[in-house]
Amino acid sequence: MTFLGKESLSAMPITQEAVKTLSAQLYDWSLRRVPDDTKDALRRARATETHEGAQRVLEIMLGSALRAEQTDRFVCSDAGVPVFRVTLGANARWEGDLKAAIVEGFDELVGRIQPPLLKHVTNPLTNERGYKGKDMPLVTWEVESGVDWIEIACQPKALGSGRWAQAETFSFPSLADIEAYVMKAVMQAGSQHCPPVIIGVGIGGSFDVAAKIASKATYRAIGSVNPEPVLAAMEERLLHAVNATGFGPMGTGGDTTALAVHVDYSAGHGYTPVAICFNCWINRRTRARIHADGTVERME
Amino acid sequence: MSELFADYRRVTMPLSREDARSLRAGDMVLLDGEITITAGLPTHHRILKCVEDGIDPPIPLQGQSLLHLGSYSQDKPDGGLEVLYMNPTTSTRFNPLMPRLIRHFGLTAVGGKGGLDAGCREAMAEVGCVYFSFLGGGAPLHSAAITAVKEVAWNDLVAHYRLVRLAVNGLGPVTVGIDAHGNSLFETLSQQAQDRMPEILAQMGRERVG
Ligand code: SF4
Repeated sequence: MTFLGKESLSAMPITQEAVKTLSAQLYDWSLRRVPDDTKDALRRARATETHEGAQRVLEIMLGSALRAEQTDRFVCSDAGVPVFRVTLGANARWEGDLKAAIVEGFDELVGRIQPPLLKHVTNPLTNERGYKGKDMPLVTWEVESGVDWIEIACQPKALGSGRWAQAETFSFPSLADIEAYVMKAVMQAGSQHCPPVIIGVGIGGSFDVAAKIASKATYRAIGSVNPEPVLAAMEERLLHAVNATGFGPMGTGGDTTALAVHVDYSAGHGYTPVAICFNCWINRRTRARIHADGTVERME
Repeated sequence: MSELFADYRRVTMPLSREDARSLRAGDMVLLDGEITITAGLPTHHRILKCVEDGIDPPIPLQGQSLLHLGSYSQDKPDGGLEVLYMNPTTSTRFNPLMPRLIRHFGLTAVGGKGGLDAGCREAMAEVGCVYFSFLGGGAPLHSAAITAVKEVAWNDLVAHYRLVRLAVNGLGPVTVGIDAHGNSLFETLSQQAQDRMPEILAQMGRERVG
């Protein structure tokens, strides 16, 4: 954990400016660095791979990640579109318009970031591309009880890392039904999402809730154990199953198609939506908190 | 990085028909020479329009490569262009358009990430063309291999959609995903995964019970 600086020690409200600055930084940081847990997982995969070509592809991936850090360049030029998850502490105090802060932060970043961003923000009705668009950046807002910080997480999404997500609604599915559906989505993505991927699965709730928890699950650190034993077992089963398909790194063959499968659930009615989403091997993901005293704590 | 990849075979681009036919699916190589790239669907439509109108595209493609790579370049003080980054895009979205382009121009290499379908694979075997799979998330490596921007066409399009001719030195390593003899790693792996699926699901069933 790194503390980036103290703006104030008194319990001043968290400012619009602080949210603007931090959200832009989180997007910028996410483009230049593969998270440490992901690099570790790639190294472990390289050590256990039995497929020679796959070992080489993993080696090239680690080389690319290293070079991005050394040269301060983007790991992938498809910087995607900015996607944030903001968790507001129920006891947090803030001033100003936090929603506007994130829009302004992105606008300013577009103006100054080096190397510049490509125009990826797309109007789905016309396919025109630019830097601005309705509801952009895409933000999921959440509230957490008992805390006074604001947490911002960023996970830019691009074609490969976004296109293969899907959801389907079942009635009273068995675990076998759910897992078979996950494997169907894995088959459809095949070689195309820059594997090895991180897979998020959301079960239950309503349609939107299932998608939200699936997406949130992809932010979880690789190697962290699911506190729910049924899901911990499911994650292990699915990870073995996905890696038994043989698509491998970059989909050109090997034992490593996924680095992790993370599953979460919400209670629902019995009609059970199941949502699946993917993050590609570079696993762009950053997160930081603004504490009540103004301190910014970068978590990853 | 180049030391790290010293043991890879190097091939010269544009690939000769002979070199294209010498490669086998699964081979990994480094590319030297000149490549033509675009990441844009509208660009493909424009090239096809040129074909229909019987005119040459602004950058000649006969016997060349057409790779699904997007780049971003910036003017240099000396008047040239510097590529700040380059990366592959998903090729499968160009599936319906590629067979015609491969046959018409007799392309010797196509590429990107994620592969192309059986229709493309057939066109490639007919003319003697290979598909190179580039590392997605390989921008730092790919960009470092660019030695010069030779030509940029269709500047009215967003940067990564333009048709661009680049000189490269040691671009890759790339994997031959589809060779000129009708072998596609993508189709083979997808079929293999499908064949394995009943056993994969059965194994999950056993683990669920056990
Ligand atoms: S899937 Fe990820 S690594 Fe691959 S091109 Fe897209 S953003 Fe880059």
